[in-house]
Amino acid sequence: MIVFEFLCTLIGEHVLLRTIVGFVAPDLVELNLEHQWEKMEQKLANSLTMTVNEKKFVENALLSDIRVDGRRPFDYRNLTIRFGSEDGSSEVQLGQTQVIAFVTGQLVQPYRDRPNEGTFAIYTEFSPMADPSFEPGRPGDSAIELGRIVDRGLRESRAVDTESLCVIAGKLVWSIRIDLHIIDNGGNLVDAANIAALAALSTFRRPECTFGGEDGQELIVHPPDVREPLPLIIHHFPVAVTFGFIGKENIVVIDPTHYEEAVMGGSLTATLNTNGDVCAIQKAGGDGVLQSVIMQCLRIASVKAGDITSKIKNAVESYNTQRSLRKIKRHNPSSAVSNVAKHHAERLTLGANEVCVGNQSNEHDKMSERNSTTKGVSGGLASWDPNSQGVDADAWRDSLPCATPLDKYKEESSQVNPETKSAEQFSDTNSFASTHEATNIVSPEKQSKTLKDAVKPKRKRRNKSTSNAHAS
Amino acid sequence: MDIELGRKSINCNEEGDSQKLGTIDPKSTPFANIMEVDRVDGRTGNQRRPVVCTRGVLNRAHGSASWAQGDTKVIAAVYGPKAGTKKNENPEKACIEVIWKPKTGQSGKPEREYEMVLKKTLQSICLLNVHPNTTTSVIIQVVNDDGALLPCAINAACSALVDAGFPLKHLAVAICCCVADNGHIILDPKKLEEQNMKAFIYLVFPNSIQSVLPEGSLKPGGEVTEHGIITSVTHGVMAVDDYFSCLKMGRAAAVELSDFLRNSLKSKAGNDPSKAG
Repeated sequence: MIVFEFLCTLIGEHVLLRTIVGFVAPDLVELNLEHQWEKMEQKLANSLTMTVNEKKFVENALLSDIRVDGRRPFDYRNLTIRFGSEDGSSEVQLGQTQVIAFVTGQLVQPYRDRPNEGTFAIYTEFSPMADPSFEPGRPGDSAIELGRIVDRGLRESRAVDTESLCVIAGKLVWSIRIDLHIIDNGGNLVDAANIAALAALSTFRRPECTFGGEDGQELIVHPPDVREPLPLIIHHFPVAVTFGFIGKENIVVIDPTHYEEAVMGGSLTATLNTNGDVCAIQKAGGDGVLQSVIMQCLRIASVKAGDITSKIKNAVESYNTQRSLRKIKRHNPSSAVSNVAKHHAERLTLGANEVCVGNQSNEHDKMSERNSTTKGVSGGLASWDPNSQGVDADAWRDSLPCATPLDKYKEESSQVNPETKSAEQFSDTNSFASTHEATNIVSPEKQSKTLKDAVKPKRKRRNKSTSNAHAS
Repeated sequence: MDIELGRKSINCNEEGDSQKLGTIDPKSTPFANIMEVDRVDGRTGNQRRPVVCTRGVLNRAHGSASWAQGDTKVIAAVYGPKAGTKKNENPEKACIEVIWKPKTGQSGKPEREYEMVLKKTLQSICLLNVHPNTTTSVIIQVVNDDGALLPCAINAACSALVDAGFPLKHLAVAICCCVADNGHIILDPKKLEEQNMKAFIYLVFPNSIQSVLPEGSLKPGGEVTEHGIITSVTHGVMAVDDYFSCLKMGRAAAVELSDFLRNSLKSKAGNDPSKAG
């Protein structure tokens, strides 16, 4: 054994094993170790290797309080929160990192030791599209660690109210499943994933269940179009804030990018809420840091947590307003025509569901692009269904501030619309009219009547004159 | 020194166009019963949903695209070519590996089937001899499924390959047609429509060729290449005549879609010089 260990230190385990097994079973060696070697080489080739020069540069720049992407040490990157068309799906972009979260619910039997509480589980997927070194299949260590951090923040701090998820104690409870898909690894996946999970949980709706049937014991799960589904009860928002420690002096940076992550010696993730509670702290190994540094980090984290919480709340609120506007359309006195109108308003607000929190394109572009989208849709309407009411003004108008950043190419294409000549010209009316050129939308006679009701006459006249001025 | 290279994304939306171009004049087509179909969202039988195609959505991937048809949305990313092929693959050609990630839950048998269909479709449009002994990974992430999922994914994967600069023979244009119980043929169904149909087909056509020479787009025999079918996957039972009607309708829709693809993929201005790492 001692000889074995001595030889190990000299040559290296791998090579030693290989020579020993090589004497015994040469074929076995060839197949197995070759394969493992290849896999290791592939993984090394795919992962990010930093040169010594790059590492030195990052550390030196930090000595003058500058980071490679131009931020200061305690600045977060741009945060954008968008929602999908279904309830409970969110897409978060933090700088170059992108995470998608989906929340779904199912009725299951509860755990035996907690018969009147619902359950929730977090599934993390490090998609191979995020990073060339992510492998498909079973989650690796970092994926599991991320899942555990997000889970601890939500579960142990009782952010999600599980008792309200109970339907029949001991028999049926709601089981909430959160799927986090990392689709782009730009560093700091924990924070982005946490925000995505919170945003998705806030917009998730579960169907309402009541007791009915002949004996009043039968459970009826109402589908969403029969009865309004209910949101989850979330007591507070535990926000994760990650710090990296770079260099010998352990300079602290917040929200590290993936280059900084490759260079940093250690990291600390603190999950806090706006009430000042520390929900979780994760510092798994890495360089040791002073207590004073940790206290400073926690103080900074509580400030950042407040910022992020307000951003999430704003995004969720705008999503909810749009959603309720869509619901109003659904309850319109029904005719096939109004259903069409509803759907088109929906299609419109689908685009507008993307709420941009953070710096985006300027208002002018937003407005003109928004209008051309609308024009595209209603222009199409006019072309094949002349009796339709077209787009309802309310949904339209309220969705305008939350514009999707769309490209000019589309604007050009939608302006070519031969059907528009026949219908009446009607210009966009809203408070932003003064800041942009009036783009005209086309609508048949009936639509102008509906919109007229929604809009003050003098505003319409003013815009008509501006549009005429622009047209001439 | 800025190590991070910015990525631009071009978003092309042809809502207006699709409403206009997607409608074929009913008098000129053999299926005059199309216009009578009453669909949930008010489209006619041969009208597609509006398409949104965005290239360059991801920063780390070598090529990426997101494709949305109505509510169905798919993100595709391409990494490659990477060194080496998988075992049992021909080392004289490039190998394409497809990974399909569903929205929730584990990958099961349906995902394996989608991966296989996608892999075979992409193999037929790629020039595999340009990079022998390499592997290119195409990763598909389903963001929302509202009918016609596989065609959406094929279109997204094709755009992502273009974004990555992978050598292709031509583009693949995918469309979904279905046959209703009363015999009407419907284009681009939503999920509810798909579930209520007798049968539906996913069709993939090559995109139309724009040739400098007038004879360039004709194959010997006078048959236009764009009528060739790359892939056809059917679900359910349908009559042979219905199948041929679906093919006709699918071809017509594919021609418009390929024009849209050509315009949108062409419009991206000079790319960033390096996307590595």
